Amino acid sequence: MATTIIETGGLTRSYGDICALKPLDLQVPEGEWLSVMGHSGSGKSTLMNLVGGLDRPSAGSLMVGGEDLLALSEDGLARFRREFVGIIFQQHHLVPYLTAVENVMLAQYFHSVPDEAEARSALERVGLGHRLKNRPGELSGGEQQRVCIARAIINSPKLLLGDEPTGNLDHKSTVMIMELLKELRAEERFTVVMVTHNQEVAAWGDRTIYLDDGVLVREERTNS
Amino acid sequence: MHRRRWLLQLILRALAHRKGRTLLLLAVLAMASSLATALGIVSSSMGKRVAEEVRKYGANLIVIPESARLDVGSGGLNFGVVSEPAYLPQRQVEDALNKSGLKVERSFHLRGAMHWKDSDLMVEGVNFADIRRLFPWWQLKGRWPAAGETVVGSDLATRLKLKPGDTLELDGKAQTLRLRISGIVSSGGEEDGLLFLALPELQQALGLDGQLTLVRLMVTAGKDSLKKNAAELQLLLPSAKVNEVRQTARTSEGLLAKVKLLMIMVTAVVLVSAGSSVAGTMSTTVLERGKEIGLMKAMGGTRWEVMLIFCGEAAMLGVLGGVAGYLFGSVIAQFITRTVFSASAEFIPWFSGISLGVSLFLALLGSVGPMIAVFKLDPVRSLRGE
Repeated sequence: MATTIIETGGLTRSYGDICALKPLDLQVPEGEWLSVMGHSGSGKSTLMNLVGGLDRPSAGSLMVGGEDLLALSEDGLARFRREFVGIIFQQHHLVPYLTAVENVMLAQYFHSVPDEAEARSALERVGLGHRLKNRPGELSGGEQQRVCIARAIINSPKLLLGDEPTGNLDHKSTVMIMELLKELRAEERFTVVMVTHNQEVAAWGDRTIYLDDGVLVREERTNS
Repeated sequence: MHRRRWLLQLILRALAHRKGRTLLLLAVLAMASSLATALGIVSSSMGKRVAEEVRKYGANLIVIPESARLDVGSGGLNFGVVSEPAYLPQRQVEDALNKSGLKVERSFHLRGAMHWKDSDLMVEGVNFADIRRLFPWWQLKGRWPAAGETVVGSDLATRLKLKPGDTLELDGKAQTLRLRISGIVSSGGEEDGLLFLALPELQQALGLDGQLTLVRLMVTAGKDSLKKNAAELQLLLPSAKVNEVRQTARTSEGLLAKVKLLMIMVTAVVLVSAGSSVAGTMSTTVLERGKEIGLMKAMGGTRWEVMLIFCGEAAMLGVLGGVAGYLFGSVIAQFITRTVFSASAEFIPWFSGISLGVSLFLALLGSVGPMIAVFKLDPVRSLRGE
């Protein structure tokens, strides 16, 4: 039986009077690909931010990879993020003045030591061996997202978080990115939590949970 | 790649990416540090120049016995009239000068009367080497005297129709001296009415071994004022009266102090303006780079690590601005000293440290507010662009 990598109990996040995430009990086994679906404002990004140690819950418990995130200091959360988590953003968030390979090395810098050979290798794995020295402005949306993926996996995270990673991509690029993620997951065996509002993207996961107004309303297994 | 090398590369890339803003900040820092450098060099050069000018005026302190009222002075200034003989022990004065630690050039004088033919002549015993050093403007016809020789003041020579080569036989209290006139000296002051001979010869002739009636001192202008030096010396010589000979030195010092104060005030205003400008520009930069900061934190950068990157950028700007400021400042200082003081400014390498310090201080001080913002920035909100 797989170990539980994410475990929440009554996890809540409020912003003033607004409750973005109502008490949520959730378990994610190690290696699972969990898709989180919901409309805009349903709390799915809030959940991802909490699980990734980017935000702190208002109430409840949150264990990720055996770490009680509520007990960690600011610097402890930063350490948790760099050692445990890789994040793929919808907007890519690449540093505009760094080349593709340097963007990947930036993640290495915060983790340990920048290693250009490793960064090159990561970009080659995502099919960008020919775009190493290009800056984000010189890359297509799909290519930028691949750089983002290479950056997310460079430090061998246990948990890969995707915040609508294909939200800005066309269908063809979306399929390519999802296939790439599936391949990488098979090789690296990381756990995936992917937030999306696209049913087709959600179907790439092992399980999909549906949030509505901060409440888990439904979950289903997928047959990807 | 080494982390520090990577950090340097990251900083340089970030600065190069925002060329316009980087150049603006560099210009502000270079301007402020160049002004501080230029005014510092000008001030230092001016100080030395004034000290040199004051030196040309000769002695600036005079020591006379407390009870004496001696007709002494220089350049038209009169300090009194001899009413009764009073003397300063030469040894006591030398000890006091050594104790004071003052950087000083000295000239010992003994003035007295000697009988010649039917009249008394005012005679002054001096060390001629000291006279030549302290009073370079004295004009001499003939040559400075050797042993057994004398020089005569121009007025006295005219009055008594004396000329070089004449011999005088002077009667003193203890000895009679036979002296040959080697030259006629003219100072433009009361010295022109005197006859000069070697100090030990006069001391013996008058029976006043080791006694002086006057000491002239030239204190080299330093950070302490002449007045303070005079007061210090006065404490060491309670039986004497220490006076400033000329107001020139004090006036020059006062003027120099005022000009320096003005320079400091101008520099302070410029530094405050530059600091504000740096703070404003850095704040804008941080605001614009909110997503980048959020990303760095999301990737696991601690608040300190992310802040270090931005501090590094500020420090790099500070160093570059300081180097440019030193170079510009040296050129500006040359221009000012040539135009205003008709002299060339010195090349003062250690001012590069001041320039660097000013520029770094401004860059880091102006970055304090923005750095606090970087430190506090919430990664989720900044990645959302809030």
